[in-house]
Amino acid sequence: MPGFVIDAQGIEKSFGTLKAVDGVSLQVKAGECFGILGPNGAGKTTTIKMLHGAVQSDAGALRVLGRDVATQSRLIRAQMGVVSQEDTLDRDLTVYENLWVYAGFFSISKKASLSRIEYLLDFMQLREKWDSQIKTLSGGMKRRLHIARALIHEPKFLILDEPTTGLDPQARHLVWQRLRELKSQGLTILLTTHYMEEAAQMCDRIGIMDGGKFLLEGPPQTLVQEKVGDEVYELRGGVSEELLDSLQGLPVTAEVVADILYLYSHNGLGVMEHLISYGQKDFLRRPATLEDLFLRLTGRELRD
Amino acid sequence: MLFPQAPSHRAFRVWVRHLVYYRSFYLAEWAGNLGEHILWLVAFGYGLGRLVPSLDGISYAQFIGPGLMVSVAMWNATYESTYGAYSRMRIQNIYESMLMAPLTVGDIVLGDLLWCASRALIGSTLMLVVLSLFGLVGSLWAVAILPILFIEAVMFAALGLIATSLAHSFSFFNFYFSAIVMPMFFFAGTLFPIKGLPLWVERLSEALPLTHAVRISRGLFIYGYVENFIWHLSFLLGFTFLFLTVACVLVSRRMVE
Repeated sequence: MPGFVIDAQGIEKSFGTLKAVDGVSLQVKAGECFGILGPNGAGKTTTIKMLHGAVQSDAGALRVLGRDVATQSRLIRAQMGVVSQEDTLDRDLTVYENLWVYAGFFSISKKASLSRIEYLLDFMQLREKWDSQIKTLSGGMKRRLHIARALIHEPKFLILDEPTTGLDPQARHLVWQRLRELKSQGLTILLTTHYMEEAAQMCDRIGIMDGGKFLLEGPPQTLVQEKVGDEVYELRGGVSEELLDSLQGLPVTAEVVADILYLYSHNGLGVMEHLISYGQKDFLRRPATLEDLFLRLTGRELRD
Repeated sequence: MLFPQAPSHRAFRVWVRHLVYYRSFYLAEWAGNLGEHILWLVAFGYGLGRLVPSLDGISYAQFIGPGLMVSVAMWNATYESTYGAYSRMRIQNIYESMLMAPLTVGDIVLGDLLWCASRALIGSTLMLVVLSLFGLVGSLWAVAILPILFIEAVMFAALGLIATSLAHSFSFFNFYFSAIVMPMFFFAGTLFPIKGLPLWVERLSEALPLTHAVRISRGLFIYGYVENFIWHLSFLLGFTFLFLTVACVLVSRRMVE
């Protein structure tokens, strides 16, 4: 398909006086996985809802799968799967009914949907829940069913809003594993998440969002290297002024948070030798991660 | 596209969803409906009816028969489009999930209204069965009431959906029921004739959509003939179209920010 799966140019959305999305531009190619990271209230969900037409933009241009969202949202949704953050499964219906009724919304007949449903329930490890009521499913099963439902019409593009929030580690790993499989099959994916490392592994590119804008966007490893460094040293339990002063001139960035000193470095060994020569032996040395970048960009204060 | 939220044939898929759910409890509902219908007919038609002299040459039970059919359609359509639709729209997020599929707000509204009307029609048909068991049906034309009741039910479902799109909690429906539905029920000539009441009551009654459904039904039920049929039907269709349009606009405003 020519062009981009998502092509957003300066889209905006206000709710009253709150500017939820404030000039977002984003381009995602076919087959790409793009992750939106950001603290609560950053505008992630509003951006996602704009993509499937549940929220209409006030300004800017937004095309998805080559079509204009403002006028052709219905046709876009026919080729797109959406996994929303809240539970929107039909609690009045069984697992199987949920899927074939939803297939009907895509004008797929009950009969034609059967083999797809069998495949998806196997894929999501829900086969034995075929006739179960939704209320008997665990949180992880519900989320997997949600994803299965979003895939019922073999979409070209899948949107997931926090697909793993609230899941236990086992369930989370299964979801990420399945998403990686879908990605390797060529599906274009856009997701939001709070699990930085998983996003770093899975996404070709990420965008860090805050205050309705992208602060930064690019391949996760490149971003971490450029903006944070290779390594992080964590020194806990109080740090002397003397040590802090001595760090001036070294290729490190220091950040004090409560009783922890973080040193972000591009030249790990030099820093380590320096610390040891100052008698500081109790420190944690680890590779720099996306979470370091995230916290440095969006700050450490709580958002809720 | 001029109206991106306009309804289409896909409304049928929404109707199917409601039918699938209905399959899980319809027998209990039918039993309950039948019991309730018999109770109303016995209590009012025969209990209260003993005190009522014959009206225009027909018994009181026969007089209220079509009135009960019409009001059953109104009550069923109203319950389903208020409590039922509010739950689907605001609590269970079913509308939201439909809008993530290629359905429009118009599809969802029309599908819901057709469903409310279908359910109302089942209730009224059961009432017709009860009435015929009691030997109260005067003309075979009574069966022709059913399509009229379907239109009436779509109209009340649309009105209910308007209330639902304005409601911020279930308690709003208390107001809607006591301010709109109850007065409609009493002053449309369902349980007693309006003729002879003060003039302003007569005029008010003429303006109520339910009155026109009652007139058509009573005519068909007892005589197989309706005076001013076209006028009554136009009144029903006009309000149905009006309420349907307003419901689409208001639900759109509620669902698409």
